[in-house]
Amino acid sequence: MKFWKSTSICFLLILLLLLIGSVHAQMKRELYKKVKIYDTTFWTSTLYAQSTTNNLEAHNLNVTIMHSFGLATSNIIQDFFGLDNPPNVRLGFDYGITNRWEAGIGRSTFSDIVDLRSKYAILQQKSDDSMPISFTLKGDVAVVTQENQKPLRNDLSSLVSAIFSRRLNGIFDFQVSPMIAHFNDVRSGNIKNIFSIGLGSQIHLSKRFSLVAEYYPVFGNRNRGTKNSFAIGLDIQTGGHVFQLFFTSSYWHLEQYILAQNTDQFWSGDFRFGFNINRLFDL
Amino acid sequence: MFRFILSYLFIWILFPAAISAQSFKSDSGHVEFHSTVPLHSFTGKSNHLVGKINLADSTVDFYVDVHTLDTGIGMRDRDMMETLDAKEHPFADFYGKLDTKFNPNSFNPQEVTVSGKFTVHGVSRQISINGTLQKTESELQVEATWTLNMKDYDIKPPSILFYRVAKEVDISISSTLHEIK
Repeated sequence: MKFWKSTSICFLLILLLLLIGSVHAQMKRELYKKVKIYDTTFWTSTLYAQSTTNNLEAHNLNVTIMHSFGLATSNIIQDFFGLDNPPNVRLGFDYGITNRWEAGIGRSTFSDIVDLRSKYAILQQKSDDSMPISFTLKGDVAVVTQENQKPLRNDLSSLVSAIFSRRLNGIFDFQVSPMIAHFNDVRSGNIKNIFSIGLGSQIHLSKRFSLVAEYYPVFGNRNRGTKNSFAIGLDIQTGGHVFQLFFTSSYWHLEQYILAQNTDQFWSGDFRFGFNINRLFDL
Repeated sequence: MFRFILSYLFIWILFPAAISAQSFKSDSGHVEFHSTVPLHSFTGKSNHLVGKINLADSTVDFYVDVHTLDTGIGMRDRDMMETLDAKEHPFADFYGKLDTKFNPNSFNPQEVTVSGKFTVHGVSRQISINGTLQKTESELQVEATWTLNMKDYDIKPPSILFYRVAKEVDISISSTLHEIK
């Protein structure tokens, strides 16, 4: 009897030892609870000219160089697919003020247009689908700085857009972007306000490559001879850069000018080559 | 005989109370890595390194949730998570022992070597790391650096167009561990 009593005590003590021993074992691995949920739509702040719901993170600077050349389909040999024609180049700087608010400035070589723009992300799609869509408001004011004997107010134009987007199946980003462009100078018979519902999409072919398209159907009154602009191309992202190679009907890089000035019809073969370089810096 | 065994076990049960006083822990250590690509380099950081050192049995235990690593550019972070297969393998961790003696009564920095199992991307390898330990009244300051070869852990260095991120990544940690009362 005494033997069994002692043995039981020993057994209990050994059990206790084992339990205490577990105190010194490897810590239990626990996931950090406040992990960032990534915004999942689009790689760039603009497709080829159309603003997206992709917002720069706070303190990120995006430097953009946009190019569009002459028509690739006229005087093919003489102009070497339009590359001999002077390109319209826009140099832009956009900065993430907060994770939802960015502002930028750019200058285009055509008409020496300087533009100021800002975007605010009201809703951001989350990768866990707790927010199913992204919604961003964008405003842009542009001024023609080339000397043209016009008063300054006639050189001003603006654009306001409300951008709704959604990523589907993890590989297809799609956006609808009602927008209205306003021009102060209507003396040449141009329309003052032009309305469009911009459409944009990005199909992710791989981690590095995606197909991108954008379209600007104009509704209501439009400037005489203008056509709905379309662009399609390939994006290549490297983590810090996004290179965009595309064909587009429009020379312009600003949405209000695309709506008001594009006279080329993509589907009739009037398109040009363009490329953009986006470089992200963490400041 | 039984009295001897009982006494021995009692001593062992009481002893951990003493050694727990030599345990230090933190969940806000700093870890960073430095990665290079031609003409460019970048750093990823996390301030959520969890670590525990037990001076009594010389165990060293650190881990970080790789989702907390931040390179400053979201697109690059997303790339990194895919490269590390973070959904499947969310932790990078080290579990090992101090190889060198550490004097807990000295407040001077002491060079130490730890050996153990480092795991990332679901692959574990036995490694040795040199670092510094410095004890204060109730804290233990840890600093260490080492170089990780991505291929050793089946991590495919991300390619950027025609070139790849260097396969060797410099890692450093620093943490102030607080005594477990």
